Amino acid sequence: MDQNQNCHKNNEFLFKVLIIGDVAVGKSSIMKRFAENVFDRKYGSTIGVDFKTKKLKLGGKAVKLQIWDTAGHERFRSITSAFYRGAHGIVLVYDVTRMETFTNIPKWLQELDLQDYNCTVKILFGNKSDLSSERDVPRETAFKYADSNNMFLFETSAKTGNSVNEAFEHLVSRMLVAFHEAESTATKPILSGDLSTCILSEQEKIIAGSGCSC
Amino acid sequence: MIEVAKKKELRDLQEQQKKQEDQSHHENFVVNALATWNKEILPNWDNMRNAKKVLELWWLGLPPSVRGRVWKLAFGNDLHITQELFEIFRCHAEQKLLNNENSKSRLRSEDLAAKSQNFVTDSVVDLITMDVSRTFPSLGIFQKGGPFHNVLYKVLGAYSCYRPDIGYVQGMAFLAAVLLLNMEEIDAFICFANLINRPMQMAFFSVDQPMMRAYFLAFEVHLQDHLPKLQSHFTEQGLTPDLYLTDWIFTLYSKSLPLDVASRVWDLFCRDGDEFLFRTALGILQMFSSELMKMEFITLAQFLTKLPENISEENLFQSIANITITREKFNQVLTEQTQKVLQLYPADKLKQHPTLRK
Repeated sequence: MDQNQNCHKNNEFLFKVLIIGDVAVGKSSIMKRFAENVFDRKYGSTIGVDFKTKKLKLGGKAVKLQIWDTAGHERFRSITSAFYRGAHGIVLVYDVTRMETFTNIPKWLQELDLQDYNCTVKILFGNKSDLSSERDVPRETAFKYADSNNMFLFETSAKTGNSVNEAFEHLVSRMLVAFHEAESTATKPILSGDLSTCILSEQEKIIAGSGCSC
Repeated sequence: MIEVAKKKELRDLQEQQKKQEDQSHHENFVVNALATWNKEILPNWDNMRNAKKVLELWWLGLPPSVRGRVWKLAFGNDLHITQELFEIFRCHAEQKLLNNENSKSRLRSEDLAAKSQNFVTDSVVDLITMDVSRTFPSLGIFQKGGPFHNVLYKVLGAYSCYRPDIGYVQGMAFLAAVLLLNMEEIDAFICFANLINRPMQMAFFSVDQPMMRAYFLAFEVHLQDHLPKLQSHFTEQGLTPDLYLTDWIFTLYSKSLPLDVASRVWDLFCRDGDEFLFRTALGILQMFSSELMKMEFITLAQFLTKLPENISEENLFQSIANITITREKFNQVLTEQTQKVLQLYPADKLKQHPTLRK
């Protein structure tokens, strides 16, 4: 999956973002809300991986996100972990109405550590925030946890759309920062990266290095 | 103006007549086929199963009213599952569901005694319950309160008790649901267990990575044989078969193709075996090859993980008919690729491997 190297030309960026988390926390709904601004209650479980793209502008920079929505089933983890490669951003999702989906977050983080993706930007989504009467994960607990793990937490609702865009925009801004940090600490000029490692559309034909600042 | 309007009217009328003719032609065909299946084939199953005439009729798809019976005969029951055995596991599954609900309500009620006794909910039961509601959501019959909700839970729950080593794996709900749409609960369970027990399904549902890899590699060999240009385009774009084949194989196309088209794929999968799953995949790729050739990685991935909803059954089967993979070829390629995988995986890992060790 070499096309997923960090790529940019004329301030156009292409980022690969992965959505992971337990079964039925709303990963596909978050992706659909963000990419198409719709909520579909009738959404079947994801087997393997689904994809969407989304273009946005942030601080004058055009960004194209390639979103990989993975299956949440633990048994699939060995399959889905192969998709982590080359990800620039990871969205970790839990369901605020089911405590176990939150207590499993460290397991997901561990999975990322195993894959050596420490340098990817990670963000935490507490989804289904609209179901306030069924809340099981206290806000304070979640925010404290996110803070101590150096992650930003957004309580989102794919159903109402609440905070979904804001959360993704925050993720994008942090990926841009990470990209520039990598660029400035890279030992060789960034645009001399291995051209063959990136396959892109016509507009995105130049690759930047894939260095990591951490 | 009037002339033009008249011409259009005439054209519309002709089109309508043509449609009606096609419709009645199709109805006639179904009535005749049904009679043949009921009167000639099913009573003489063992003798007629492989007759040329039967195989040809089978290719056209099974009439829905005999579908369940034919599938049951074709899947067989090598596992010798009986009604009694099913009842035992069904009872276990129902009990587990009950226990789970009790634990949950006690945990919800802030019952300190319950919490201190460490009441835990059964994650498999939770997973099945959640997934059952997310199975064919547009049909609205498997969702909570729908007529097939409980029965789908029972089949999947019973299976996870019957084979705790495999348990429940996502994708299973779709398979059991397709079976339940065509047969009774007990038959659906028997077919389901025997279906999962087939080599390819067992490799995927036990998430046997070396074997899955061998299947993906084997698929690429067939892709290279039949659609070499597309294969090199996919390679250039970095699109590997695991990205789209995973869903197709786990759900036997029931999630990705319209249900009536998927049912016909199942008909032929019953007739021919695993090679038909590969032929279907290649048929899909061939049907859309000119579009696919123009797409870049992400568009390809999006397209193949969400196929157009109005896929034409006729065109797809026309396309599948152009793809030939014999049983011998399928097995030969799979064996070769399995050998390759053997060399790729560390020896100590393979020592514990149930299939590859041989």
